[in-house]
Amino acid sequence: MDRVLLVDMDACVRCYSCEIACRQENGLSFETKSRWCRVQTVGPRKVESELHLDFQPVMCLQCTEPMCAQFCPVEAISKREDGRVVIDEGACIGCRQCIYGCPYGAMHFNEITQKAGKCNLCLSRTEAGIEPSCVQHCIGGALRYVGPAELQELTRGRHSVQLGRTTYLSSKWALNPIVFEVRG
Amino acid sequence: MPEVTCRQCGQPLMSQKTKERLTEIAREKGIKNHEEFLFLCPNCKLLAFSQKVTGNRLQKVSRAKPVPYRRAEKLEPVKSDPRLQTTVFKTECFSCNQGCDAVVHVKDGRVVKVEGDASSHVTKGVLCSKGLASTEHLYHKERLHYPLKRAGERGGGKWQRITWDEALDTIVAKLGETEKKYGKEGIVLATGTSRGWLLPFYRFGNAYGVQYTAPGTAQCALPRFTGSTLVGGTRFLENPDYDHTRCMIIWGANPTSTFPVKGRGMMDAWIRGAKMIVVDPMLTEASSKADLWLQLRPGTDAALALGMLNIIIQEGLYDKDFVAKWCFGFEELRKRAAEYPPERVAEITWVPKEKIIEAARLFAREKPSCITVVVAIEQNADTLSTSRAIGMLSALTGNIDVPGGNLIQMPVPVGLWLNADLALTNLLTEEQHERRLGSQKYPLLSGKHSVSFPPSAFNYDVWQAILTGKPYPIRAMYCQGSNMVQAYANSKMVLEAIQSLDFFASADFYPNVTNDWADILLPVATWMERDFVTSSDQVSANSAHLQQKTVPVGECWSDLKILNELAKRLGFAEKMFPTDEAFFDLLLQPAEMSFQDFKKAGVIKLPWEYKKYEKKGFATPSAKVQLHDTKLEALGFDPLPQYVEPAESPMQTPELAKEYPLIITTGGRVPVFRHSEFRNIAILREIVPDLQISIHPDTARRYGIQENDPMVVESPRGEMEGKAAFTPGIDPRVIQVASHWPGKSNVNMIMDNEKCAPVIGSAQLRCQLCRVRKG
Repeated sequence: MDRVLLVDMDACVRCYSCEIACRQENGLSFETKSRWCRVQTVGPRKVESELHLDFQPVMCLQCTEPMCAQFCPVEAISKREDGRVVIDEGACIGCRQCIYGCPYGAMHFNEITQKAGKCNLCLSRTEAGIEPSCVQHCIGGALRYVGPAELQELTRGRHSVQLGRTTYLSSKWALNPIVFEVRG
Repeated sequence: MPEVTCRQCGQPLMSQKTKERLTEIAREKGIKNHEEFLFLCPNCKLLAFSQKVTGNRLQKVSRAKPVPYRRAEKLEPVKSDPRLQTTVFKTECFSCNQGCDAVVHVKDGRVVKVEGDASSHVTKGVLCSKGLASTEHLYHKERLHYPLKRAGERGGGKWQRITWDEALDTIVAKLGETEKKYGKEGIVLATGTSRGWLLPFYRFGNAYGVQYTAPGTAQCALPRFTGSTLVGGTRFLENPDYDHTRCMIIWGANPTSTFPVKGRGMMDAWIRGAKMIVVDPMLTEASSKADLWLQLRPGTDAALALGMLNIIIQEGLYDKDFVAKWCFGFEELRKRAAEYPPERVAEITWVPKEKIIEAARLFAREKPSCITVVVAIEQNADTLSTSRAIGMLSALTGNIDVPGGNLIQMPVPVGLWLNADLALTNLLTEEQHERRLGSQKYPLLSGKHSVSFPPSAFNYDVWQAILTGKPYPIRAMYCQGSNMVQAYANSKMVLEAIQSLDFFASADFYPNVTNDWADILLPVATWMERDFVTSSDQVSANSAHLQQKTVPVGECWSDLKILNELAKRLGFAEKMFPTDEAFFDLLLQPAEMSFQDFKKAGVIKLPWEYKKYEKKGFATPSAKVQLHDTKLEALGFDPLPQYVEPAESPMQTPELAKEYPLIITTGGRVPVFRHSEFRNIAILREIVPDLQISIHPDTARRYGIQENDPMVVESPRGEMEGKAAFTPGIDPRVIQVASHWPGKSNVNMIMDNEKCAPVIGSAQLRCQLCRVRKG
């Protein structure tokens, strides 16, 4: 996988298309209580005497060193060679430790299957060469699934942070990297 | 029971034992800062993450970047998807009334997935949350599947399943009884925003010879369609050319929430770096991205538009060639606009003078520029003046039908949704025109001179006629697709009127507070269960699209079929259609295509032509842009746009304002609902569980209201409830209450529907007075 998920915070318009696209694509009915993609609102707030209101979808970052895996007692969570963090549903015992262990709130408990679940960048779509459903349906154009060249073009001269296989981008806020580490 | 709670919000999180185990693992593995995240609930972690990543260091750099690659597949009306093992129907989503290209995946006779259509030149593959949740709507457990008749008391909620024959025969018999007693005037038809079937609905009414009303119309679509048609002969304000524009005014609109087709185009232009001016009293998704945000006092849009026209004229920023050659009445407009100097406009609108000047200059200089308007400009004290003045901004700057401006629709060779000929408006007699409710007071809504829509009855007068029998009694109603009690101002009056009818029949998806009072309730097909030819200039100005049946559900019929079958029983079958398909064939006649052909083609798209007016002129009496309107003048109205102070405002009614000091603006939308629809879809409702009332923190605290507190809003009409949502992005003298919520949160309970805009009868929903208290 040479592509990463790009979250262009400038362009998110809080339309929630990504949330519903995700639920549909991944069979996450209301009863599962699983919302793998969640649009967040920062503000409204006043910064330097200007009013600001910002939005961004948050889903699994596909961390370089996934913290969730550290808390899994049965090694059901692994990092694939292509960079995706995946859960082996057969191995998952539904203990929820990974949900507490994810620093970002991106791991979810499925009340129907009684297993953990999270964004895997629409594995079945992307393996068939189709971009993730949230990306296709994003009305604002904030979500993109891009290769290295496009990533470079889009991030040049702008604030960006790469977290796992997800890049957050803004032309307004000097973004902060957040990395939780396991001591070497 | 979990003893450990979320460090941030206090929600129960985990047991003491789990806490100890997790702490142990963290220590063992040497995880840094584990305290920061282990004991927060997922909701608080998500928000904390967003806040931390975003931070508060404001360092603006250029935002212009390449527009997103949007999917572009080959168009195939029906195909199979080997990956999902489904049959895929290319069709048109009608979760709202716009029509977005969508694909419906069917497996074993059931719809399993609804997605955006990646072959669409209109949507470029996107679909909104409502459209994406369509299977939840299609298979919702509360949906009506069979015709029902009331069993027991009206409003008692007891129903009995009947056949379609019995349902239609009963309706026809009851309408016949009413006609015998009161004449055709005793019957009224009603409709909501419609899902493409407005044209057959009007046709049905005109062929039947009874009047119709729509809770929208006068305060949705009609004023702005009429305004731009009077000015430029077509509804050019509906078609901003986002692909080529350099500057956009988004006027009283939040298209990504309410009009996703436009929202996608707007955002692609914005990403490309087009300048964006947003006119809105609130900090919204749109205004938060504006290069220039004009935070106006609700209801003062006409003054702002006239003020901008004045600056553009005074500073000579208008397109002199276009004005000389193509505008009628420039001198008169110049004089009228001069009555709105920046100082006066700033005083009326609360927008600082400098910003008004900056906006006018930016819009006039940064050409080509376009304007996006939707419903907010149609709910003030003079909606026609507002729409016309805004249309004139586009005209004077030479932005009509040029690349990047506001486009005149191509003559798509299919019947349009508001075609007066196809609606058989010619069948109406002088007497019918004169006696239609509202025709004297609101001639461009209810009179024979109506523009854009066939004439429809003025709502308030309809309810009055039902309640008082004056000027003549109305005793029976057939309603198609409208939750009138929730959707229309002065809910109490609307409900009382419906309750007092002798006969009420309604066609809808679900039972609701309006059709709970029906005698006969008909189940209608959603867009996934029916065929249609869609061609709305609000969506695409040069193409017509296919909607096709995917699966059946219960005994649901298309709205069109219901009308056709009623017409057969009422004796005017020849004016309607033997089948739905016969209607589509008629629509497609100019394209020399049958519906069967169209099903194979999937779309009719015309190559774009600009400046079409250069061939035949504008479709107005002078064949030019009408700045001075001769039609309005002949009807005895002001031929030039003007600003009218809202019927209720601190300036207009200072005495009332002592008791009700705050301005209430209603109608703000959230993206997951459409008007009164979809609050029963669990995955959508979860996102916005209840009504948020936007209020400035200073105002709220003055009344002892804290954030998220339940609060009550009162007007002279009554009171309603919601939750306080604090925002510094609203003027402390204003509150904003989203409309169409059910029960005690229905803001329409406190809105006036009597004091309406001249000529066209719009309720002033964006600018009335209220007071608030803690709930």
